Amino acid sequence: MWRKFLRRSYIIGILHNAVKFALSVFALSVLVFAISRLAPGDPLYAYYGERVEKMSAAQQEEAMERLGLREPISAQYARWLQGAVHGDFGISYQYKRDVKEVIAARIGNTLLLGGLGFLLIFALALLLGLFCAWREDRAADRLICKIGTVTSCIPEFWLSLLLILVFAVWLDWLPSSGAYSVGEEGNVADRAAHLILPLAVVVLGHLWYYAFQVRNRLLEEVRADYVLLARMKGLSGRQVLYRHCLRGALPSYLSMMSVALPHILGGTYVVEAVFSYPGIGTLAYESARYQDYNLLMVVSLLTGALVIFCNMLARTVSGRIDPRMRMRFTGGGGEVGGL
Amino acid sequence: MDVLTVKNLSVSFFRPEGEIEALKNVSFSLREGEILAVMGETGCGKSVLCKSILKLLPDIAQIKTGHIDIRGEEITGYSEKQMRKLRGHFFSMVFQNPMTALNPCMSVGEQIAEAVRLRQPCLTGRERRRRTAELMELVGLNPPGERAKQYPFQLSGGMAQRCVIAIALAAEPTVLFADEATTALDVTVQAQILELFLELRKRMGMSIVLVTHNPGVAARIADRVALMRDGALFRIGDVEEILEEIIHNRNLT
Amino acid sequence: MKKKVPVLSLLVLTGIVISCLACGLIMTKDPLYMDLAHCNEAPGKEFLFGTDTMGRDIFSMIWYGGRISLTIGFLATLLSTALAVLVGSVSGCAPARMDGILMRLTELILSVPGLLLTVFLQAVFGGANVYSLSVVIGLTGWMSMAKVVRTEVLQLNHTDYVLAAKCLGGGFFHVLFRHLAPNFFPSVLFMAVMNVRNAIVAESTLSFLGLGLPVEVVSWGSMLSLSENALLTRAWWIILVPGLFLTATLLCLTNLGNYMRGSANKRHSNLGCRE
Repeated sequence: MWRKFLRRSYIIGILHNAVKFALSVFALSVLVFAISRLAPGDPLYAYYGERVEKMSAAQQEEAMERLGLREPISAQYARWLQGAVHGDFGISYQYKRDVKEVIAARIGNTLLLGGLGFLLIFALALLLGLFCAWREDRAADRLICKIGTVTSCIPEFWLSLLLILVFAVWLDWLPSSGAYSVGEEGNVADRAAHLILPLAVVVLGHLWYYAFQVRNRLLEEVRADYVLLARMKGLSGRQVLYRHCLRGALPSYLSMMSVALPHILGGTYVVEAVFSYPGIGTLAYESARYQDYNLLMVVSLLTGALVIFCNMLARTVSGRIDPRMRMRFTGGGGEVGGL
Repeated sequence: MDVLTVKNLSVSFFRPEGEIEALKNVSFSLREGEILAVMGETGCGKSVLCKSILKLLPDIAQIKTGHIDIRGEEITGYSEKQMRKLRGHFFSMVFQNPMTALNPCMSVGEQIAEAVRLRQPCLTGRERRRRTAELMELVGLNPPGERAKQYPFQLSGGMAQRCVIAIALAAEPTVLFADEATTALDVTVQAQILELFLELRKRMGMSIVLVTHNPGVAARIADRVALMRDGALFRIGDVEEILEEIIHNRNLT
Repeated sequence: MKKKVPVLSLLVLTGIVISCLACGLIMTKDPLYMDLAHCNEAPGKEFLFGTDTMGRDIFSMIWYGGRISLTIGFLATLLSTALAVLVGSVSGCAPARMDGILMRLTELILSVPGLLLTVFLQAVFGGANVYSLSVVIGLTGWMSMAKVVRTEVLQLNHTDYVLAAKCLGGGFFHVLFRHLAPNFFPSVLFMAVMNVRNAIVAESTLSFLGLGLPVEVVSWGSMLSLSENALLTRAWWIILVPGLFLTATLLCLTNLGNYMRGSANKRHSNLGCRE
């Protein structure tokens, strides 16, 4: 009986989340679509950019008709949505190919760079924050805080330039652009070498901000009364930090890192563009430069959907590991599938 | 036989604004199996006295002069590592506010079991669970199986204080400090906890330093009473004698 | 225990701002003049910070371009702060349903990375100038601050001490200035300073990528847009000098913002790690 209830509540939770996700993505698509139609002046311009000027009047008329630009914007959106539901996101005017294909060819690279970067930041920020909290206000902590503040202030694109200047131009140790050398697509070592610099920038650019948050959160925990009780049991300061304080800081760290996702992803996009790394970020900047709005719109939507998904996931997870949250939703009994 | 002797203990807090003397020349001794009530107004240094003996004060606090001996061995200069071996074995302490003293993110059972593990590291998992349940029954957390799964925020103040006491008792201490252990509780619960202290002393033979500002509590279970004011311990004596004095001369405390 | 005033940051920042405002007095050359006889010249006596790929004097460009970077930072922050205060206070005062809708909307916009959104808007708006760029950056930077403002406004009705102040007969403005502003101000001021910082980063990143200000309009970002060329010719000064000024400004702003956020933690650690 109990198990049945548990399982049913679990399924309801998942369904609830799925509906919420769909609604959010739908709202986001409306927003993004509206922005892409905001282009001042000729709507054709939004499709063809400067190429419009080279078209004859008849050609322009024909294009307007073909693209359905004569219809009201709500009808245009409905048509776009219908296509999108069936996996048809329209055509990229720069690449003359399906948007889906263009993105599919590059998303793997971005997920590799962004995912690795996120995981590294996630782990390193925790370690660094723990270390600094443990050595609070002593030489090591102060030094790390100073260095951290400086690195977090360096704009990512400039840090990329610096690293390229030092490691690619002066020392000639590492490649400065792309995801692999020509013809070496399957070579893991070559790919790794291409990944080092961009990854370093992604991690260095964000690490301290989160490590500092972990540090401050832990310093709050360390001032709580329960620390004295734990030490009274015979635990050392370090053991209290790891076994007790970390546990209190972890749920808020998780939800913080879920909010961090768009920032880190946005950072990845900039870094990709500097390193000409063939990913979504480079694609976004290229399409912006060549006024490929359709592609840019889908990239924004996709990124937003990914962020929303990860936020929901993180909220569910942190709701599960924090007993205070877990109990609040169910009134102190079983568990619920999530928020 | 004295289990704990404190001689001329002075403790100061060094803040940026200057030095604050929290304890001034405090001396007393505690006999085996004795319950000593330490009384005084809020802020007179009762808590600091307990914490400075256990060396649980923040880094800005320092022992300036004085000696602390346990069973004739001086521990004033003990390092943190040496103190750690005393805490949870020789000494134990019940803190003032049970709601903040427990870790809000850990179940009650886990927190008690941790104390048991630190005291008796050789126990197997099953033995440890049994010992934890035993302790919980002892302080009246019934039924232990269900209570163990609960988190501090699900407990009432009285239940939480019982947990803190269970943790303190897991150490099977020679000296137990009870810092306002019953202040936050209802009168009925207070009475139960005091009964529990008396029973535990009888059963385990431990000495208790009971910090309180309630003369009724002192009268009920203490053998001797020490009075503090402004960081100084100015009077110590048998409970009847001191309480008599208090009744006749209110301005003593 | 108050935090120390970041004297050095304050001095450096004022120095940079004043020098940029009074750039006419400092510049040794015309920052827009392309001296084709002296392209890519290393720092020396005549050109203190060297010249860029187009033969312009970097030393003069720094002050001249800094003015534009700082202006955009300031204008964008003005816009984003105004929007944030508007949305935040409306959301905080409005009925629950309206509040919910506004906050969902804020979170929705927040889910697209800020820079991507800026790029998107800028691309749709077409050709960038100082004002359009400020507007675009301002439009994409109000969300997190709006959330903070809303939280603070909600306190207006829910915090015990505010309730106590009201019960004692304190008027609306009394409560606002004596009780709420001291809590409200540091966090909003901090967010505003961080917005200046983010706006400057956004401007320089966009201009660097060739999506913001064109090369002819001198700003720290557009100066760096020549760096691809500079990497090939190993002209490190073209990359190093504007970036250093950029980073120094951002660092000073961060220190200043952290100082404004409020006083340090008063309590002492219970950990006692001295071993």
